[in-house]
This record gives sequence, C-alpha cells and structure tokens, in this order.
Amino acid sequence: MTTTIKEQDGKMVAILEGTLDTAAAAETEKAMSPLNNADKDVILDCTDLAYISSAGLRIFLGILQSARIKGRLVYIKGINDSVRSVFTITGFSNIFEFI
Amino acid sequence: MKKIFAYIRSKLSVRVSIGVVFFAAIIFTVALGFLFYESRDAVREEAVSKATRILDNTSLQVEGIMNRVEVASNLNKWLIERHLDDAESMFVYSRSILHNNPDFYNASIAFEPYYFKEKGRYFSAYTKHIGDSIRTIQGGSDNYQYFYADWYLMPFLLDKPSWTEPYMDLDVATNTREMVTSYCQTINDQQGRKVGVINISLSITWLSQTISATKPYPNSYSIMIGRGGTYFVHPDPEKITRQSIFTQTLEHPDPELTDLGHAMTRGEEGMKSMKLNGENCYVFYKPLGKTGCSMAIVCPESDIFRGFNRLQNSVRIIVLVGLLLMLYFFIRIITNELHPLRQLADEAETIASGQFNAQLPDFKRVDEIGQLSHSFGNMQQSLVKYIEELKNTTAQKASIESDLRIASAIQKGMLPDKFPTKTDRDDVQIYASLTPAKDVGGDLFDFYFRDEKLFFCIGDVSGKGVPASLFMAVTRSTFRTVSAHESMPDRIITIMNKTIADMNKNNMFVTLFVGVLDLPTGRLHYSNAGHDAPLLVGVGVGELPCDPNIPVGFMPDWKYTLQEAQIFTGTTIFLFTDGLTEAMDADKNQFQMERVNEVAAKALSQQQQEPQQLINKMTEAVHKFVGDAEQSDDLTMMGIQYIRQQDNIKMQKRLVLSNDIQEVPQLNDFVDEVCQTMGFDEMTTMQIKVAVEEAVVNVMKYAYPAGQKGDVTIEAASNDVRLKFTIIDSGKPFDPTVQSEVDTTLSADERKIGGLGIHIMRQNMDSINYERIDNLNVLTLRKKILP
Repeated sequence: MTTTIKEQDGKMVAILEGTLDTAAAAETEKAMSPLNNADKDVILDCTDLAYISSAGLRIFLGILQSARIKGRLVYIKGINDSVRSVFTITGFSNIFEFI
Repeated sequence: MKKIFAYIRSKLSVRVSIGVVFFAAIIFTVALGFLFYESRDAVREEAVSKATRILDNTSLQVEGIMNRVEVASNLNKWLIERHLDDAESMFVYSRSILHNNPDFYNASIAFEPYYFKEKGRYFSAYTKHIGDSIRTIQGGSDNYQYFYADWYLMPFLLDKPSWTEPYMDLDVATNTREMVTSYCQTINDQQGRKVGVINISLSITWLSQTISATKPYPNSYSIMIGRGGTYFVHPDPEKITRQSIFTQTLEHPDPELTDLGHAMTRGEEGMKSMKLNGENCYVFYKPLGKTGCSMAIVCPESDIFRGFNRLQNSVRIIVLVGLLLMLYFFIRIITNELHPLRQLADEAETIASGQFNAQLPDFKRVDEIGQLSHSFGNMQQSLVKYIEELKNTTAQKASIESDLRIASAIQKGMLPDKFPTKTDRDDVQIYASLTPAKDVGGDLFDFYFRDEKLFFCIGDVSGKGVPASLFMAVTRSTFRTVSAHESMPDRIITIMNKTIADMNKNNMFVTLFVGVLDLPTGRLHYSNAGHDAPLLVGVGVGELPCDPNIPVGFMPDWKYTLQEAQIFTGTTIFLFTDGLTEAMDADKNQFQMERVNEVAAKALSQQQQEPQQLINKMTEAVHKFVGDAEQSDDLTMMGIQYIRQQDNIKMQKRLVLSNDIQEVPQLNDFVDEVCQTMGFDEMTTMQIKVAVEEAVVNVMKYAYPAGQKGDVTIEAASNDVRLKFTIIDSGKPFDPTVQSEVDTTLSADERKIGGLGIHIMRQNMDSINYERIDNLNVLTLRKKILP
C-alpha cells in the first residue's frame, strides 16, 4: 500500500495505491495526516486502490469530518466498481462526492 | 258483538260500572222478588177476605129481604085469617104489604074458586107497583086461572110455606112480564081448611141488582143459582133461568166448573181458584139462606192483582231506569276519575315514542292517581337520566369494541403471518395458528431468522382478554428485543423474566418456550418457562424433555436452564398452548394430551407430519371433539419441521492466524485463493474478502485481553450451494452478531467511526451465525453460490 500526497490546483490530492486492509490502515492514516492539517479541498485518488476494508473507511470518514469542520469538500476520484460496492453497502456513497 | 266485548274490555269504567250495576241488579231482583211474592200472598189474602165479607153482607142482605117477605106474609096471614068474611079487606091487606115494603115486587092474596060467592069464581087481591104508585086489582080471570099456577099449588101440596122457583109473572093489565120468586103460604079458615094463598114476590132483576150492587172489583160479578143449578143472577141476562151452571159443561167438559156447580147446589160455602171463560178467577160461593139458592162472586185474578201488577210493573220500570241511570253515572264518574290516567297513558305513549322530556300533567291530587302521577314523574326523570347514562355507556362500549377490533388487528399484526415452506427455504418449514377465545388473547408465538438460526417462541399469558393481550404484546416485543442480541434461549428467557417481572405490578405471568434452532446443524437450544413440553414428531412421537422452570413474570432473579437436542431432518417440533389439551366439549370433558399424541401419531403414520398438515389435522380433531361448545381458551399451535439435507462437501481449506492484525494480508490472500477456487467474480470476491476480514479483525481485537496471544482459525468449506467460513477462537465469549446495527442513513457529521464491521458482514454474506461451543467462539459466515 502506497500513499502519495501532493498539492494540485489549490487542492490536496492523495493518491492511494494497493490494498487498504486493516493491517495497512495505521500506516496509511499516518501518511494521510497532512490532509487534515491543510485548509484546502481534498481529492482522494482511488484509481489504483484495489481493496478497502472498514478500517480504510474509517480513515476516509475521519478526513471527511475534519474537512467539513473547515468548510472544505472531499472528492473521491477514479474508484473501481468493487471498491465502490463497499462504499455503497456502508452508506458512505451518500456522504462522499465522487468525481 | 265482538266489538262490544272489545270495547268493554278496553274501558275500565264500563267494566267496573257494569259489575256494580249487575251486582245491584241481583240484589234488587232477589229483594223485589221476595217482596212481590209476599205481597202477592197478602193481596190474595186481602182479596179473599174482601170477597168473603161482601159475600157475607150480600147473603145477609138477601136473607134480610127474604125474612121481611116472610114476616110480612106471616103478619098478613094472621090478619087475613081473622077477616075471612070480608072480601074487600083483602085488597087493603094486599095493598098494605106493598105499601110497607116498597122493594117487594107484588103481593096477592088469592082464594079458592067461589070462596067468596059474591065475587064469583076468581078472587085474587093483586097489588103491584106501577111507577111510583101502587095499584091493587082483582087479578083472577078466565085468562088467568091462578089456582092452577105453581105458586098457588105448591103451598097446598107441600103443606108449608115455601119459596117458589123463579117464574115469569105476567101482569095482564099492563102486559108486563117480570121474573120473580115468590114466598107462598096457605090461608086457613077456622076449621083449618086451606082456603087461599098469600103470595109475595121479589123481582129477580131487582134481587140480582141488589146482589150485584156491591162489587169488590170493577170486573167482578155475581151469580146466583137455584137448587138445580139454574142461573138466577148472571151478568148475561140470556142465561138467567134459561141455562144452568152445568149447561156449558155439556158441550165443553170443565171439571172445575162442574165441581163448583155441585158444591153450590149442595149448599156449601167456600172459595175456588179456577179458569172461567179463559180467565183465571177466584170464585167465592155461599148458599142464600132458606131459598136453596147459592150465590157466588167471581173475581178475575187480573182484577185482584191489577193494582199489585201495576205496582210491580212500576217498581220494575223504576228499578230498571234506576239501574241504567246508575250505570250511566257510574261510567261518567269513573271515566272522570280515570281521566288523569288516560292523560298519563297518553304521556307514557309520548315518552315511549322517545320524547323523554314530554311535560307531564300536574293533577294536584293527593289520592292514588296523584301518587301515580308523582311516581310517573320520578320515573320519567330517572328514565331521562338512565337513557343519558345508557347513551354514554353505549358510546363507550362502541368505542371499546372499536378499540378491541383495532387491538385484535394490531395483535394479529404482531404475529408472523408469512410461514416459510419448503419452496421458500431448504432448511425449515413452519406453520402456526392462533385462535383467540375473545377478540384479543393472551397466547403468542413468534419466530424469525437471524444468522442461520431460527429463533422461535410460544407462550400463554395467564388470564384472557385485554389484560392478557397487553401482557402478550409486552412479552412478544421483549422477546424480539432481547433475542436481537442474545442467542441462547436460557439467557433470552432469564433477561425477559427480569424485565417483565420488574414491571409486573399485577402478578400476571406467562408460560414461555423459547427455542433457537441452528439451521445448518439441526442443533436445538431451548429453555422452557413452565410451558407445555413440545412434541417431536419424526421417527416417532415423543415429548421434548423439559426442565421444571417457573413461568416468566414473578421471580426476577430466577435462572432458567438451557437444554439441547438434536433435531433430525424430517422431524417436526409441534408446539402448543394448553388451549389444545384443555379444549372442552359441551360436557366439560377435556381434549387431553392422550388425544394430541394420538392425532400426532396418526398424522405421522399417514406421512402427514408437515407443520400445516399436522396443525390442520389437530384443528380438525379439536373441532370434532368440542362440537358446538364455546371455545373456552385461546388455542395456539406451531409446527417447525427441520428439512435440511446435509450436502456433500466439495472444498475445504484451513488457515490459522495469530491475533495480530498484521496477519490480515495473509487472510486476504487465503480468501482470494478460496474465491478463485470457487470461481467468484471480482465483485463477489471483494464482498467476501471484506466480510471475512471484518470478522477476523473483530476476533483479533476483542476476543483476547490486550497483550494476550491467541490463535484464530479460519476454515473455508463449500458444497453445491454454499461457501462457509468458520472462524474459531478460544477467547472470552464474544458474539459479534448481537452488536447494534450501524445507521447508514446518517449524514457525514453524524456517522460514528466504528460499528461498520458487523454491518459489512451482514450485508456481504447471506448469513452470519455465532455459537459458543466447548469454550470456543464459533462464528460462521455463509455465502450462497449463485448458479
């Protein structure tokens, strides 16, 4: 699991690649902490995210709730169908913006 | 006639009046009848005495006249016999007789032929009244040779003075005829030779008038007959001397008249009541002195009783009119008196027609009718009050009934109404029926599926009706609430008991059987709180052994025991309430357990042990037994047949991990491999992977105390229909299936971090099942294999 953070067009972009399972969750959460500190909209690029478990969803929810406190938006980009199904069954598809 | 009777029946006044008048009429009739009877006797007595008196008087009078005739005759005989030498003096004597006795008809002193030579052959000094004067002539002549007449010959022949039978006297000078009777006696000379006859006559007409002068009654009359019965006095002049009293009996035999004639001619005295000329008469008769005549006074009864009859008729009319007047006034008076009653009756009709506030007449009377009116007023007030109350009560009752209907519907709605059959499920089929004795009942049954387990219960609340139904509702919802996060029946019942007992102020209770059937294995866990032991209908018919636990609701600290049994494929668990065993026929005989067993055994022998078949057979048997008797208790039956066929295992894999989340990638590889073997697509693989990871991570995180090492075993197995993951650990008892559900509809701000794992497991797998077996937590996740 690799996580790359960069700033692009005034937005924070996190590129997530690999498998975000419970084992990888702690490391990924740590890697994504800059997103919480920056006062900018966030794009989570999931184009190459192959798997996500509830641990990963919790990180996403943390980012979203933190962004919303600052009045910022969180977008999820390029998500594949199987990962998206996890969002769907948990109701997360209702609270995130997909691009 | 019918109308009249109907009218009399409808009128109290008429009835009472007729009764009183009828009674009075009877009294009058009896009293007057007696009075009339007695009076009639008195009148008869009076008539007899009156007639007798008159008869006596008349008789005396006639005798008096006759005596005078005889005295006059005797006096003159003495004078004449002293002066037989002087023919002229005879005229003087003759004349003096009539002169002294104006009521005598005539008198003659007649002598033998040539007694007075100078007078020739005939000499009779004959004196007679002519008008007011007295005329005396010489009566004998060739035309009237008196010495051949009866009156002249009779005293000669009889040699004593005597009265002649009446005969017709002819006065030649004036050619006057008159019926007379004469007293004749001979004149004797000094030698005792009979030389002549003194004749003094009385006019029969005059005598008759004298006799008839005094009439006791206007229509009464007198008769006089001679020795042979010849009429001398009779109202019909034609009959006088021409007929006798016996004449008419010759033509028309009349014993009464004949008797009378005989009695009179014999000279008897008396009274006879008889019919004369078609009329009832009293005849009073008496002989008339020496004349040999007998006289009678005939008094028609109608005459005697005329006054009496008139009186009687008058009294009758007066009484009749009086009674009619009495009837009229009675009816008037009673009608007047009863008028208020009629008014009351009308008002009662008005009230009866629904106008309860009709104004009642105020009679201001203190008698019974006043009291009635008063009572009526009170009754009306009460009626208004009670009707009002009745209205309210009825409205309340209707409201309650409506509530009851709704409650009944709600209660039915609480009970499962969709029963899975073998076409719906491959592991179990269920059927149940609940028939409450009233609108709502205290029986309950429930079942639902959770995590490849069938949770079911059957219960019977003490009592019936609304209280029982409320308690039933509480019990059923408590069952659902508690069993949502407890999987063991003993725990479920124990918690339910505590909850219910704490709020049970009315000391109600419920017998309850709770079972949890593990569908994959057929293992049944159950706990029985005082309920009838269910039957197992499979290989044979037998009761499920049950521990003696107390019913739910009154001892909050009771620990209910857990029991286990293996249910084999094809076996039906038959649960029921005591409404079945205690169903009563009309003679209060109970259906009893023996019959339940018989019916079940028969159903089994006919291969009819499927839940619906079994319950239908049982229902039919109960109806047949109970007949027309009223259902006495709620009747509930539930049948659960385990029909799972054990499938052939196609694939089996196993992985053991330590309780470290860093082992998760290894787990995901294992699941990937399994899914690949199964040939699942990417999406399904993802779903299974996430679910299994969540399950295992749960165990890793919570099963063991922090820092304690432990293993988690993951077994994957499949058959033709399912893929099964079994996650086993030896940690503390932990049932992830009873975690509360996460709400996926909340907004981003409201969503909690956590609780997602169990949700994902449920969503991604077809079933999730936890069991604690031999100090191991056993969690089973199943996924159906789509064809």
